[in-house]
Amino acid sequence: MPLNKNKIFDILVYIISFLFFATLILLLSGIFFQTSIHIFMKELKDVGLWNSIFLSFKLSFIVIIINLIIGIPIAYVLSFKKGKISFLLDLISALPLTTSPLVVGFAVLITMGSLNPIGKFFIDNGIKFVFTPQGIVLVQLIISFPFFVNIVKTSFDSINRKMLNLSKTLGASSFDVLFKIIIPLSYNGIIAGLAMSWSRSIGEYAATQMVSGVIPKITETAPIEVFVKTSYGNYPAAITIAGILMIISLFFLGIFKYFNYKIKTNA
Amino acid sequence: MKLLEIKNISKSFLNKKVLDGINLEIEGGEISSIFGYSGEGKSTMLKIICGILKQDCGDVILNAKNINNLESYERRTPLVMDEPLLFPNMNVIENIKFGLKLNINKRNLINNIGKNKKIFYSPREIMELLGITGLEKRYPSEISMGQAQRVSLARALIVNPEIILMDEPFSNLDIISKTKVRKLIKDVNRELKISILLVTHDIEDVVNLSDKMFILNDGKIQDSGHPKEVLRKPSSIDTAFLIGTENILGGVISEIDRNNNLIKVKVKVRNGNTHTGVIMEADFQGNFETGEQVFLAVRPEEIIILREDREASKPVRENRLSGKIISSIFTSRMMEISIKSEENLELKVLIPFHAYEVMHLFEGKTVKVSLKKSSIHLIKKKKTVKNSISP
Repeated sequence: MPLNKNKIFDILVYIISFLFFATLILLLSGIFFQTSIHIFMKELKDVGLWNSIFLSFKLSFIVIIINLIIGIPIAYVLSFKKGKISFLLDLISALPLTTSPLVVGFAVLITMGSLNPIGKFFIDNGIKFVFTPQGIVLVQLIISFPFFVNIVKTSFDSINRKMLNLSKTLGASSFDVLFKIIIPLSYNGIIAGLAMSWSRSIGEYAATQMVSGVIPKITETAPIEVFVKTSYGNYPAAITIAGILMIISLFFLGIFKYFNYKIKTNA
Repeated sequence: MKLLEIKNISKSFLNKKVLDGINLEIEGGEISSIFGYSGEGKSTMLKIICGILKQDCGDVILNAKNINNLESYERRTPLVMDEPLLFPNMNVIENIKFGLKLNINKRNLINNIGKNKKIFYSPREIMELLGITGLEKRYPSEISMGQAQRVSLARALIVNPEIILMDEPFSNLDIISKTKVRKLIKDVNRELKISILLVTHDIEDVVNLSDKMFILNDGKIQDSGHPKEVLRKPSSIDTAFLIGTENILGGVISEIDRNNNLIKVKVKVRNGNTHTGVIMEADFQGNFETGEQVFLAVRPEEIIILREDREASKPVRENRLSGKIISSIFTSRMMEISIKSEENLELKVLIPFHAYEVMHLFEGKTVKVSLKKSSIHLIKKKKTVKNSISP
């Protein structure tokens, strides 16, 4: 069959996509070529490794719980209360997406430091954000909540407004509307948002590093551990943690994609 | 007692005044309808009554209580819209029971039990009445539009409403479902004594269902009353156009004879460049003066085409004209015939199809028509007219 322009087009897009995927997969999986099952298993027995991974899990779990509590009201305002304030809120809440995480971490480090009036206020009241786990929770929250809010907002946006208005005339107050209609209709979006923000928060390095202070067992999260191990030249350990982090994010991405796909097919 | 009173309600959107001082009163237990062109603020009116929109000024009074400051969930005025808008995550029975799970309705239920009144109906009773028993476990995506619309109605009925507001509830239904749902609404109204306010742009809905109609045009209530009365005697030319009074002729009153119950009007007809006149007789109607400019409104179904084979009875001798059929169109139920009289008057006539056949009518045939005196309704010529017609 002769090659017509459309065939050439198809071949081109496939070749470019394939090359890109192959490169990406090679790059990411490349770390496994430098290790063996034996070393990998040996490293898994290291308690320090599990400490850092559990710490990451623990802190990011707290982060997504806070996300859930504050993210739904924010998404509600952004989606249902369209106005000048919501535009501003949208802008501010999306800012961490475009700001360098390092800058976010740096800002928290400075603001919450003892020389800053805001930081001083918290420190005087016994709450320290610098070199503490709560500091890590704070920066990870700032970094990850735009992901959650955006996905949930998109999900809220797809709900029929006329239906919500009608439900009010049946006797549903705003609480009823949120808990009996909006949230049940947004389960997929909420789960997708949680998966995304959890994954983002577990893998967060730059901002976390700024406020962590790298205290083993207390503030040394898994990504920081990768960096620390690398700087000591302990590659087998770094590769193992990096591998585990990669598997975790693949898992969360899977959850996100599955539920995100369901949002689209529902709408 | 008046169930719902709307007092002097106005509403503007972006400087466009949609509602301009609306007043209307609705009796309990009746079906009332607001009729008007699309985009004339009928839905806005409903949204204001149920509290989704706030009016710029004016009062909504339900059961002698001003409800301006109540939120929509406190008003007990459920909406039924043109789409069923069922909750997609719930099956039919959950949709119907939705209202029962809400605190405000539970409270109402308890209060009513105290008064020993049985007002709340069980989901089963309502489903039976509406003929949707058996659909309980189905999801909204699995039932037809007509069924979904009935579920929507059931969902509104279950909360024991003061009044149900319906916004074009038939506009998305096919003709069979439409007839069915119309009948159901009538049944619901009769059996449950539930008041209904219907908004529609279809005059059929109004005539079929309502005890009282309001015509909303240009942000104002132009006419109100029993549909039959309003249909026959529109108070303004705008209303006449709106309700499908297609024969509107301009003329001047030449004689008023109160004793003989007669008004004579000289209808102006343009014949090329010259104006001629045809004298038409109508029943006496108050408040007119000799020499006054008026419009004559005659509904197309009231014009009689005379049969050649029969002696004309008395009423059909009134206002006889002879003319030629210039077009005849078969609509879904009737033949719509245009007749041009010898005097150059153009008249629209609606007759049943079988009559058209029996009388051997065809385009180009010359026929005699009669406009009964009682069918001619005079309208004062006071306002500027939207649709231009030659006086």
